[in-house]
Amino acid sequence: MRSLSIRDLNVWYGPKQALKAINVDIPLGQITAIIGPSGCGKTTLLKSLNRLLELNEQVRVSGQVLLDEYNIYDPSADVTEIRTRIGLLAQKPFPLPMSIYDNVAYGPRIHGLARGVLDANVRGHLEAVGLWSEVADRLKAPATGLSVGQQQRLCLARALAVEPEVLLCDESTASLDPISARGIEELLRSLKGRYTLVIVTHNIDQARRLADHVVFMWLGEMIEHGPAATFFEKQENELTQAYLAGEIG
Amino acid sequence: MQRNQRRKLEELFFTALMRLCLAGAGLVLVLILVIIASRGIGALSWEMLTQSPSGGFYTGQGGGILNAIVGSLYLATGATLLAAVIAAPVVLYLHVYGSHSRSSQLLRLALDVLWGIPSIVYGAFGFSLMVFLGLRASLLAGIIALTLVVIPILARTYDEVVALAPRQLREITLAMGTTRAEYLGVLLRQTLPGLVTALLLAFGRAIGDAAAVLFTAGYTDNMPNGLLRPVASLPLAIFFQLSTPFPAVQARAYASALVLTVIILVVSILAQWTLRHLGRHVIR
Repeated sequence: MRSLSIRDLNVWYGPKQALKAINVDIPLGQITAIIGPSGCGKTTLLKSLNRLLELNEQVRVSGQVLLDEYNIYDPSADVTEIRTRIGLLAQKPFPLPMSIYDNVAYGPRIHGLARGVLDANVRGHLEAVGLWSEVADRLKAPATGLSVGQQQRLCLARALAVEPEVLLCDESTASLDPISARGIEELLRSLKGRYTLVIVTHNIDQARRLADHVVFMWLGEMIEHGPAATFFEKQENELTQAYLAGEIG
Repeated sequence: MQRNQRRKLEELFFTALMRLCLAGAGLVLVLILVIIASRGIGALSWEMLTQSPSGGFYTGQGGGILNAIVGSLYLATGATLLAAVIAAPVVLYLHVYGSHSRSSQLLRLALDVLWGIPSIVYGAFGFSLMVFLGLRASLLAGIIALTLVVIPILARTYDEVVALAPRQLREITLAMGTTRAEYLGVLLRQTLPGLVTALLLAFGRAIGDAAAVLFTAGYTDNMPNGLLRPVASLPLAIFFQLSTPFPAVQARAYASALVLTVIILVVSILAQWTLRHLGRHVIR
């Protein structure tokens, strides 16, 4: 049985505690949305799931994140393997300084995937994000020449090419125009089932549209979580009610 | 109304001031080129570019400065490459493994100090090093001394370029499960145009430096013929020719200076061209 569970997770930035005793199970093959006001620890929680937090030297983490019963914070854990299994789609589209083709091929190349069938692999991932027909004639062109929306789809293709099991999305539509944002949303929905998605969003409507499961954060604490249907129907906590009603945050 | 007029006058005054300074700086370059060209072009000949000095070259007889042209190219290329091999990994390491550590701050300070040291000091230091290692004045010793001169230039210039790389690049790359060494490769791609600029600066400095090679590379009228043999260099060729009392030989010094300038110009243009090609994929 595959699973992703967070057990008693605490995070400090220097002396400031950013996450307080978080316990939650992320349902597999579904979309889990982490919502809450700015600065509540949404992104910190997300980035604790693939150990990106530790790029900041001030950060201290205690607790466990279990991927198939394997604690990714175990001292013997291989961080590159963890980040291979748990991919990231960042807030702003950020291509690597390479051609369109190489952006997608980079992951398979370093991880030794798709040997001998790299062209087909790249094409497959570009098709999956609906970019193939737009870039087929300029695969060797710089990725920075694409529009912002195209760049974000390229970044999604790049993340998927590493063949992760879990995909973390950090407000991945926030810096896009509405049409591109809707496109990314559709793509994320289409990934459900094959991948476990964890998305951070400050957009409650987006959470309503996409999420199967919702986690509500407030000042570093997890206030409430549950299946989207029941979560949006009836909230147990006053803070959650107030936040969803737009009274706070 | 009056206030607006004053603001417009201010604008006019300061743009005029900037244009004046720009013209001043440009004029110096133009004057240098004009003087070198007008005094040297008459002495420039095919013979001068294609032959080594024959007996009596320094009293106005036949021969050329091919030995110094080739010698200088060897010295500057060798030093630039050797310095790059040392400096580029140091810079990348500083940024990926020890970005904010105390030792990296100390290293930057040390490099800044080294940058400011006059090259005659490197020449003297290189000379003692040479004696210690049992080397004679030679191409190798000259390359080593020039390498010491250009390492700080290369390292600090490249360091600044790497510091300008977007912070996200690191997070995005590592999030794909890359090792830090693989991230170094991506960082190198992002900063390659900056590295080329740094190499160019270093090359320009190395080929134009006379003091560091004075004791270490020696001088010879022969073509370079081995790492452990002395080599001629253009700056010293210019110096020796200028210090003769013969106007004809002095004119050749200006012709040699012209050659040196043209070499630097050609290298700059080549680098610009490479930059445009290499910079295609850089994230801005």
